[in-house]
Amino acid sequence: MPGVTIRGLTKRYGDVAAVHDLDLSVAPGELVALLGPSGCGKTTTLRLVAGFLKPEAGEIRVGDRLLSSPDSVVPPEGRKMAMIFQSYALWPHMTVAQNVAYGLRFGRRLDRADRGRRVSEILKAVQLAGYEARYPGELSGGQQQRVAVARALVVEPEILLLDEPLSNLDANLREEMRFEIRRLHEAFGITTLYVTHDQAEAMVISDRIAVLDRGRVAQVGTAEDLFERPATRFVAQFIGRTNLVDGVVEVPGVVVHDGLALRVATADAKPGAGVAVSIRPHAITLVPGEHAHAGGPDDNVLSGVIKRASYLGSGVDYEVEVAGGITLRVAAPATLRLSPGTAVILVVPIARCLPLRD
Amino acid sequence: MDRSLPVWVVTAVFLALLMLLPMAWLVVVSLSGDGGAGLGSYRQALTDPHLRKALWNTVVLAFWVGLFSLLVGAPMAWLTARSDLPGKRAVRALMLASFVTPPFLGAFAWVMLAGPNAGVLNKVWRDLTGAEGPLVDIFTMPGLIFAVTLYTFPYVFIMIANTLELIASDLEEAASILGARRFTVALTVTLPMVAPAIASGFILAVLQALALFGSPAILALPAGFHTITTQIWSYFQYPPKIELAAAASMPLLVATALLLYLQKRLLGRRGYASVGGKGGQRRTIPLGGWRWPAFAACLAVMACSIFLPYGVLAKAALSRAWAQPMTWDNFTLTNIWFTFWQYGATKNAIVNTLELGIMTATVGALMAALLAYTVNRRLVPGSQLLPFLVLAPVVIPGVVLAVGLFIAYTRPPLVLYGTLWIMFAAFLTKELPVGYSQSDATFRGVHSELEEAGRILGAGRLRVLREITAPLARSGIIATWCFIFIGVIRELSASIILFTPSTKVMSVVIMDLKEEGQFGAIAVLGLFMLLMTFATVALMQRLLGRDVLGVRE
Repeated sequence: MPGVTIRGLTKRYGDVAAVHDLDLSVAPGELVALLGPSGCGKTTTLRLVAGFLKPEAGEIRVGDRLLSSPDSVVPPEGRKMAMIFQSYALWPHMTVAQNVAYGLRFGRRLDRADRGRRVSEILKAVQLAGYEARYPGELSGGQQQRVAVARALVVEPEILLLDEPLSNLDANLREEMRFEIRRLHEAFGITTLYVTHDQAEAMVISDRIAVLDRGRVAQVGTAEDLFERPATRFVAQFIGRTNLVDGVVEVPGVVVHDGLALRVATADAKPGAGVAVSIRPHAITLVPGEHAHAGGPDDNVLSGVIKRASYLGSGVDYEVEVAGGITLRVAAPATLRLSPGTAVILVVPIARCLPLRD
Repeated sequence: MDRSLPVWVVTAVFLALLMLLPMAWLVVVSLSGDGGAGLGSYRQALTDPHLRKALWNTVVLAFWVGLFSLLVGAPMAWLTARSDLPGKRAVRALMLASFVTPPFLGAFAWVMLAGPNAGVLNKVWRDLTGAEGPLVDIFTMPGLIFAVTLYTFPYVFIMIANTLELIASDLEEAASILGARRFTVALTVTLPMVAPAIASGFILAVLQALALFGSPAILALPAGFHTITTQIWSYFQYPPKIELAAAASMPLLVATALLLYLQKRLLGRRGYASVGGKGGQRRTIPLGGWRWPAFAACLAVMACSIFLPYGVLAKAALSRAWAQPMTWDNFTLTNIWFTFWQYGATKNAIVNTLELGIMTATVGALMAALLAYTVNRRLVPGSQLLPFLVLAPVVIPGVVLAVGLFIAYTRPPLVLYGTLWIMFAAFLTKELPVGYSQSDATFRGVHSELEEAGRILGAGRLRVLREITAPLARSGIIATWCFIFIGVIRELSASIILFTPSTKVMSVVIMDLKEEGQFGAIAVLGLFMLLMTFATVALMQRLLGRDVLGVRE
């Protein structure tokens, strides 16, 4: 089973580069999510991989085969791929069985009995046995989704592409289908590219996530990498919620902002450089009162005043104002109930104060 | 790029032959005239008191038809779209019937109904009251306006009804909850949203009346006055004055282009029609005590445009003397015998009409499908410009197009005059915009992901076209075919100028029969034409699975 290698990929629409010098490699059998807000180029990237679009620069390889370059593009039908579309794209004039069997006609010699067997096996795998003779219009949204999955998997593609396949489902079904897709991926082990704008979806489904920002890959890594060690301001803001403190490096390892000084995790920035420090709301511990001996030598200790408290059931969301007029969001356990106006000490481990490049 | 070239070449050649060449010749000839090159023909035409009178008559006709179409069409649109009017389905079906009825047939029927001497209504009036004079006279300007309005107001109805259907009741309820009374809501919310549709419906009706040839020829000529279309036609009678016809065509062409531009501006400025989308609920408004009177009013309108005309046509078809009471002695089938077997021109005309109908519809539907597909899938660079070219013939009235084609194709290199080809060219040009709009809607409905899904699973471009696109677009394409076919079999205003003795079509034969006073035969042939039309409409309704007028159930 081959992987996918994308190098220097660029696609322009008029003057706008939808994808700009993008690099990404997907290991054989790996599921990588392309995650980003709308307009970040993730769907364009997927359609370039599928061969629906021709790049202006760069190349796409599957294993050793060069599939796309500015000079030549192997047409979609010659790529041994399968794709699941946002609209499912089930053909309304064909039954479920006809939809699923369609791709089996090409590229491989299968007799009618074999095809029938493959179709019923895959329909069983997606829990749609018995629906062979139905038309797509007679199925619910979730069932249509499963037919689309079956149609893509039955051809045993080298590469599977998914374009926001869950965005048309309601919230409950969406959550269920996330696990279903992950389960099928583990069962079939097909190299997969998965486009989504939903970070929770990407985290549940994928082995690795590529965060796209304005046509480039901002960072690639596991969900934990991205959450704990975001490389850019964009990634820190896009993956989970965070507090960003814009400041200036005073001495290596210390960032200041209007009387607020933070010791940060890395010390490679030069003094005088502008830098944003990301602090996750969960990384901050609140201590009521004004006693300054909270925290240890590896912590930043700040004093502040509670501005607003929102009880969320599983915890309390506080807004705390600290020196320099900065407001920090703090996620505290539900057992700690403080009212606005209370003076507090904030304990922030140095290791969790991450300076980011833009 | 390689594959874009043929598309552009074909489209360019098509438009050059069908539109640009005739229109260019029209301008050239209008500038040549007896006194050599220059504006002589224009001066002659515009100082001609007959033509000036005809122009004025056309303005009067078009304005009043527009106004009355609005006064009839708008309330009926509101009643069927928003109120609890009884028998809405029936009203819509009748509206469709009057939409597809050729106006010249309606005009004939009204000659039999309201001719000053023998007209059925006038006879009944005299019998009832003992009066000497007629109650109504259809051979007058008001009579003409009346007869044209009857088959023009459906255009207004469709525009407004379709817009009302798109306005969700939420928008009105949002105003109510803020304290507006029902009348205030109608005045400040509903009306402004429908206003562009009202204005553009008015313009559409005016355009119809401007371009119409049949009704004025039947009603205005005996009354001794011309409209611009009949005046242009008369320049073709012996001795022909082609330069004058060309010069007289110009004001009509310019007026049409300006009105269409205005309509586009009105509709385009704000995206009203899409405001509610299809999501919003529409609640019906109870009419209370006005329910049945409103229904009666709708029926009265439909009586004038459908029941009475169709009735008198049927009577004329089956009686020896159409003006006499329908008794057993008066009953006969001779008219049918005469029309189809005795009268020499009929059979040939039916064959010609069918040939032209099938040919134009087939070529037109295929071209429209091809162009719409190319545009929708952006197959060639710059394809977004194609619609403008394809829709351009809309601005050319049938009579004007015929004058242009006549001039262009009576001379080398392409002498098409005297053949069916020149009529084919006229019909194709006239019908392509309608066909294109239909096909465009069809391909918009076939999501491109459906094709991409086939491609990525291993099917080639052509196979996808054959196995996925074609089956999904089939009913839409056949419906386009039907649309064009209906348009062709009722066509008169271009045919009347382009026909020769061997290339007569049904509508032309009907005009001939009128010269000979063969009312029974007119009725038979007219009903035959209606039968063909309704059969095609029925087929189309089935294929589209919806109302042809676009109004939702």
